[in-house]
Amino acid sequence: MAAEANNAKPTFLSPPQEGKEPIVSLRGITKRFPGVIALDHIDLDIYPGTVHALLGENGAGKSTLVKVLYGIYTPDEGEIIINGRSTRLTSPADAISTGIVMVSQSPQIIDTLTVAENIILGLEKYNHFVPVTKVYKTIREESKRVGIKIEPGIEVWRLSYTQKQLVEILRAILLGAKVLLLDEAITYLPIEEKKRFYKFIRQFADEGGTVVLITHKIYEAMDVADKITVLRRGKVAGHLDRKEATIEKIRALMFGERSAEITYERLPTAQPEPNTVLEVKDLWVMGDFGGYAVQGVSLEVKEGEVLGIAGVAGNGQKELIQAIMRLRPVIKGKIMYNGEDITRKTTYYLRINGVGYIPDLPAKYGVSIENSIIENIAVLPVYSRGIINWDKIRELTLKLIKEFEIKTPSPDTPVKFLSGGNIMKVLVARELTVATNLLVAYNPTRALDEATAIKVRKIIKDKVLKNKVSAIIASEDLDEIFQISDRIAVMNSGKIVGVFPADKAKREEIEHLMVM
Amino acid sequence: MVIVRRVKPLPYWIIPIIALLAGIAISVIILYVLMGASPAAVLSAIVYGFTRPGVVAKTFVALTIVGIALLVSFKGSIWNIGGEGQITFGLMAATWVALFTALPYINPGLAQASMILLAMVAGGIWALLAALPRAYLGLDEVPVTLIMNYIAYYIVDILVRGPWLGKHVYNYIRTDTIPSQVMFPQVPGTTMTWDGLFLLIILLVGVWYLLKNTSIGLRIKILGNNPNLLRSSGISVPLMVIVALTISGFIAGSVGALYLGGDVYRISYPVEVHTANYGYTGILVAWLSMLELIAVPIAAYIVSALYTAGIQYQILVGGHLGQLITAGSAIVDVFIGSILLMYTILITISEYKIKIIVKKR
Repeated sequence: MAAEANNAKPTFLSPPQEGKEPIVSLRGITKRFPGVIALDHIDLDIYPGTVHALLGENGAGKSTLVKVLYGIYTPDEGEIIINGRSTRLTSPADAISTGIVMVSQSPQIIDTLTVAENIILGLEKYNHFVPVTKVYKTIREESKRVGIKIEPGIEVWRLSYTQKQLVEILRAILLGAKVLLLDEAITYLPIEEKKRFYKFIRQFADEGGTVVLITHKIYEAMDVADKITVLRRGKVAGHLDRKEATIEKIRALMFGERSAEITYERLPTAQPEPNTVLEVKDLWVMGDFGGYAVQGVSLEVKEGEVLGIAGVAGNGQKELIQAIMRLRPVIKGKIMYNGEDITRKTTYYLRINGVGYIPDLPAKYGVSIENSIIENIAVLPVYSRGIINWDKIRELTLKLIKEFEIKTPSPDTPVKFLSGGNIMKVLVARELTVATNLLVAYNPTRALDEATAIKVRKIIKDKVLKNKVSAIIASEDLDEIFQISDRIAVMNSGKIVGVFPADKAKREEIEHLMVM
Repeated sequence: MVIVRRVKPLPYWIIPIIALLAGIAISVIILYVLMGASPAAVLSAIVYGFTRPGVVAKTFVALTIVGIALLVSFKGSIWNIGGEGQITFGLMAATWVALFTALPYINPGLAQASMILLAMVAGGIWALLAALPRAYLGLDEVPVTLIMNYIAYYIVDILVRGPWLGKHVYNYIRTDTIPSQVMFPQVPGTTMTWDGLFLLIILLVGVWYLLKNTSIGLRIKILGNNPNLLRSSGISVPLMVIVALTISGFIAGSVGALYLGGDVYRISYPVEVHTANYGYTGILVAWLSMLELIAVPIAAYIVSALYTAGIQYQILVGGHLGQLITAGSAIVDVFIGSILLMYTILITISEYKIKIIVKKR
């Protein structure tokens, strides 16, 4: 059956052949969910010693495919062949025993334990009687080999997101992974960490390991993969060799006709008004682990302009944004909003006075996925104080669903049933509606595929231009900063190290300031 | 054959019903094995319980109200295990109005209303005391509310042994009986009181409205699902924790007044032995309702029927075996424990499904 399916397809779609036998093959994998076919007869060969990227836009079926490979979902149809043998994976333990280990985008480690304790969990070769020093030594050696710096004795809650991801990957290696599934695992890492990671991935593949890199970022695949498979709407859109892959080709496969919309041209520059909407004066804010994360930052945002804050993750942007939103205490300095000192005001005060907020990790901080779209909109204090006028909110919700093209069966659908892109649209739609004065955002498009991300940026910029709203947007994505900002402030080690008008800013100069 | 995680959840009413049937079956087996109780006698007691709405009514009203109370906090993922303490505090407040104010003799109607209202305030305050450390120190509310049940018992015990000890009690340690003016009038042909019935209706409608149409209700629901969203929306999470738990205690407190005015008419020492345990049984009601308000009365009816069945069985058989007194509420506990156990097991199993894959070759 599988052979037939292969023959029936044009040669362009058939998997690249090689001398070696594939380590993992999928034949006709199909998975249906109520109302949708998430995977539609997927054929895929993954060869040992290669880095194989799985690309696709939000909702293309990447995550489902990975879950099938990791035994979290069992396919409705089709066959998984591992090392030449038809295998049924019914749990991650099954997958691990065949050498397939996944690292996902959200670290699956226990915060209250130390790094070493987390790593020992699930490792059979370390029983209760292995001396701690030996475990520490192994961890130190391995992490050095991999090119990451991790102290085994530290409790996990002290670690940053990046470091947690590294612990996960380290654990996968110690588990004896032959096939490493990286499900958007490095998408959210800062640039240098990412580059170091590419090196490790390369090394791992050169030593005979296999890496399956699942991502919606094309450059990530281009940077490190040998083979690229593009998924689109649950089907394989095409297999490409790295040598023949170009951004245009991949985009065409990923987005079809929508690929024409992708452009990194700067969005129109705003003509700001002279009055200042947000002013931050000599701000000092603590980080999570003691020490000042924001060290004497001063900046201002004029009415109707977008201030982009560029910087590598962990340089105080998160703390700055949270302090502005009054979600983190200010130790020293002042925040002025429309000429009023808000340093001691509450988030509530900002939210009922025209401030929109798009937090980082939107599914965690920006929406409640168990609640419906309409409830996620109604929760904002501007919409519900005392008795809720559901008719009005329903009307607004329907309007936003239409305006932002949110794909949902109804406004009462729980958010968890929407795709990542649509969840983000719910959040952006809600926040742009309440942002009558100021929008504060951190990585507003990180979870989105290119086409959707660009669309969201356009929507935000449109709103700024049309309604003379101001925006302060921190992002780790320089493309985003350049595309959307009118002015760019570079943040490094808790300080603003340079401010440039976006149309005159030089990319090299900003990159240099970011990592200086 | 493989076991996989279920993608689409089962309809919510299936689990409680299976849990109920399996729990009853297990109870019958346990009672047969341990006591040699004839399954026919146990089942006939159960049938008795289910077919006597008039008898069941008193328990039904109390358990529905406790179920509603717990539902409010459970919706916010605040696990109020302190219904029992809040009821006991309500009982104390109602007793004070009935015995130590002149209100019963001046205006009986107003006195009854005051008993209920003050009981609610007392229950609310008792819950608030647990809510504050939960909200501001992050202290787990489960042990705190649980321990506070016993503190409430002992406070009332001290009162009953000391300043509240009755004058006409024949060496029993208990308070005087409340004046007949504040004994709640019964609905003819049932064990429940008009006061209880009205309160039940008011609370059912009130909480329905609260959860459906008010910002407090919506925020409690979001508190239960993702408090981070409240925070980024500018709503104080500690405040919502306090609101959810206090409302819960406020509602539960009223059961103390109903228990006094419609059932026992006085507090006997030690109160922890003479309690009807509605605060704990109500947890079962709230869970069996799957936190759907409309299902709370249904769950409460089922549980109160079993409660009545247990007591009925003890009267029928226990007396005959000479074990009536020592058995206490043991048979009721067997029913309730078995069902809750089945429920807990089934809710976990229900997340999976068994699938048979036929290999095509």
